[in-house]
Amino acid sequence: MKPTRPELPREFIAVRKRRRITDAMAELCAKQGYEATKIADIVRLAGVARKTLYDNFEGKEEVFLAAFDSATAEMTARIEEACQEADGEWVDRAAAGLQAFLGYVAENPAAARLCLIEAMSATPTASARYDETVQGYVELLRHNTPSDKNLPDTLEETLVGGVAWILHQEIRRGGAEKALDLTPELLDFLVSPYRGVGN
Amino acid sequence: MERLPRGRHGLSPEYVARNQRERLIAGLIEVLHEVGYQKTTVSLIGQRASVSKSDFYKHFESKDECFFAAYEVAVERIQSAVQEACAKHRQEQWSLRVRDALVAVLNLLAADPPLAGLVLVEGLRAGRGAYERYQVALEAFVPELRNGAPQAPGREPVPEAMDEAVVGGIASLLGRRVLAGEAEQIDELLPEVLEFALTPYLGAAEARRIISAG
Repeated sequence: MKPTRPELPREFIAVRKRRRITDAMAELCAKQGYEATKIADIVRLAGVARKTLYDNFEGKEEVFLAAFDSATAEMTARIEEACQEADGEWVDRAAAGLQAFLGYVAENPAAARLCLIEAMSATPTASARYDETVQGYVELLRHNTPSDKNLPDTLEETLVGGVAWILHQEIRRGGAEKALDLTPELLDFLVSPYRGVGN
Repeated sequence: MERLPRGRHGLSPEYVARNQRERLIAGLIEVLHEVGYQKTTVSLIGQRASVSKSDFYKHFESKDECFFAAYEVAVERIQSAVQEACAKHRQEQWSLRVRDALVAVLNLLAADPPLAGLVLVEGLRAGRGAYERYQVALEAFVPELRNGAPQAPGREPVPEAMDEAVVGGIASLLGRRVLAGEAEQIDELLPEVLEFALTPYLGAAEARRIISAG
């Protein structure tokens, strides 16, 4: 008798379908931008029924926001894990965090593009969420670098903005997969302002 | 903005046309600041500029075209302010030239929050086409920064990528202030922004010393 396939739990299938939908949104945004992307495009690429999309999401914007949230959650988790596991000085933590971030970009170019580029212009809610996420990374950086009364309050904001800008350009040039090549320069950029602090 | 009297007013068509174009650009910048790119419409721009919709379309094919024209005008204003400041003081010292340029930029932006919003915020949020212009504007500042920068002994030469990151970081910071409704206080950020710009070349300690020396 042929062995039957074990039934996958319902929730697992549902999660996988959601994932296919959000992945499809990222791919389509990368190719043609948010505005030009239609529900029909998403369901076709994701291989799901229209009904399935609308069972899970209210509409196009919600798909986008879900894609954004899951990508940034993954990014943040990788960075935090790398920082915690890093041994040694704060510079090693910063290096580990940066590499985790760039590694994510290199492995997930479409998702990275969605977060770093499309979110800013997709919808007002998306750009507000982008701003909140940036604030989160500003605080993460602040937490993992030395504090000193001589350092400007705006330093971490400026540093995160600079890194985001470099990546924004790199992704647009089609260089997302090589993001890790930027590590030495970006690390230097991140740590230089702190050199000489507390010496 | 005053409406020109209807009918014969003795002004050349070229003057009226130029005037309308300028009013439309100014109108776009204002409306953009109030409602953001997506909610800005040709109607709203026309209303603000006291220009009819059909006259709008004599100057621009679309809202986007008006946006791009406004962006160009805004960037030119910023670049002129920088050139003027640098020509006026003719600083020998690189760090003082950078300071003068930053003072000019920050003062201009603080005095004109809608312009600041256009250049710094909408440049990245208005979507396709706007990005290229934002990038070109930022790129123009990179050689300004590098030009005449000292090669400090014992330090590696600063790669251009670092300058791009510095300029991009500063623009991002200023953009966030505009979003927070703090555009008018942008000029207060001078010491921090200047320190950020000088540090890669001089090191943090020397940068701070120069800034506190005035």
